[in-house]
Amino acid sequence: MQESIRLEGVSLWRRTQEEFSYDLKRTVLSFLEGKYRQPAKKIVLDDINLIIERGEKIGIIGANGSGKSTMLKLISGILNPTSGVVRVKGKIAPLIELGAGFDMELAVMDNIILYGVMLGYSQAEMRSRAKHILEFAELENYALVPVKGLSSGMTARLGFAIATDVKPDILILDEVLSVGDVSFKNKCSQKMEEFWQDHVTVLLVSHSMELIRKNCHKTIWMEQGQIKMIGASNDVVDEYLRCVSPGIEIPQSVTTQV
Amino acid sequence: MVTSLPKNLQNQELSWYRELLVVLIRRNLKRRYRGSFLGIYWSLLNPLVMTGLYTAIFGATFAQYYDNSAFNYVLAAFTGLIVINFFSASTAQALSSVVENGGIVNKIRLPLFIFPLSTIGANVFQILMGAFPLLVIITLIISHSVLNAFALLLPMTGLVLVCTGVGMLMSALYVFFRDLSYFYELLTFLLWISSPIFYPVEIVPESVRQFLLFNPILPIIESIRQISLSGDLPDLALIIHSLASGLIVLVIGAIAFSHWRKQFMDLL
Repeated sequence: MQESIRLEGVSLWRRTQEEFSYDLKRTVLSFLEGKYRQPAKKIVLDDINLIIERGEKIGIIGANGSGKSTMLKLISGILNPTSGVVRVKGKIAPLIELGAGFDMELAVMDNIILYGVMLGYSQAEMRSRAKHILEFAELENYALVPVKGLSSGMTARLGFAIATDVKPDILILDEVLSVGDVSFKNKCSQKMEEFWQDHVTVLLVSHSMELIRKNCHKTIWMEQGQIKMIGASNDVVDEYLRCVSPGIEIPQSVTTQV
Repeated sequence: MVTSLPKNLQNQELSWYRELLVVLIRRNLKRRYRGSFLGIYWSLLNPLVMTGLYTAIFGATFAQYYDNSAFNYVLAAFTGLIVINFFSASTAQALSSVVENGGIVNKIRLPLFIFPLSTIGANVFQILMGAFPLLVIITLIISHSVLNAFALLLPMTGLVLVCTGVGMLMSALYVFFRDLSYFYELLTFLLWISSPIFYPVEIVPESVRQFLLFNPILPIIESIRQISLSGDLPDLALIIHSLASGLIVLVIGAIAFSHWRKQFMDLL
């Protein structure tokens, strides 16, 4: 099998939120008073080593703030690691919060092109695909409506349709499959099934253990910026649930919604 | 991480930047003029009104420095206003451009410098559609020379370079200091007053005048006025001066931006 993503000894330090000064006046004053100090940094990801093969479907679970989304940002190239190496092969379609790249004021059509170009396609390419995207999102009659006029479900559909219109090599899903009505959900799962057959690597972050068990054959459990456990989805999810809710007996293979 | 990309990948990145720039400029313009009838021509209103105001107040007094012609004063004020207006509008918009797009750059990998660049680009499009043709017409009428009309593009390039440099510098600083816009307003006002737009440079005392040389806009205004209003052939020294001024400011801005860029993501 071919390797798709490789993280080698990846660590990331970031400035902590509390240290944000955001203020020229105060910074200058503290300089003059001699009280200026370098902003504090905190470790967010700690020595992550990970290899993901092409076509694998990986679930990522863990508490809020455990570094799940940060790791995806490193893989997408949004953040650069403080140390270590990130190697990614192929085109990534990030679906971190569907529709985050939309401009609410612009028409659906303009947004298809804008979003597509941001994802790395050319304008000409997006223009020729627009019709198909509108069809998939079931928004044919909304091409000239500004995005702010769409419902949140429609916006999510549009985002999904644009990001998945072309088969990416790696698809990143961060808590996004829970939107849309039932018929669109089915459409999404169908598309996911297609990708599954076509050896698209999928990274899925979710708090829905059911979704993870059903869709991913391998799962990563993150805790405090480290990989706590990695292995077959059922094993990892069971262990995770046992750890999170001690004392409660969890029968094997009964799905629990968290 | 990856230090040197293969050649074809580099080309791919470059063409991606170009495409991004085009769609972002278009977004910028569409947003600004959505539903406005006069559209881009609103941007002409400001320099026209200001020219009228300055002429009404100072025209009579300062005409003596412009061959006793109030009309010459009008033209001088107008050309200066076009330049300073472009500078203050485009850089003020560029200042907030990176922070404004903080949401998107946290979701999708995007080159951060594209945001100040696209705001400047939208303003360039605007001036090319609005004030610049007017300037070309004035030039053609006064100098009767097509060469002068074309030469206008050179100091204009200098202006765009200055604005890009300042825009990059300010958009980078704004990530760290969110109260920068107040200081920047003061700074553009200082630049406005210290540029001889509505007054002749002759009235400035010699001892103060040497400080005006630090104003990167000054050679650009002088060159544009020389080309469009003097009736002589374009003065090469002034053109080179304005281009050099643009290059210096651009290099400073670009270096500062790329130096601080690594820290941006923690603050956006």
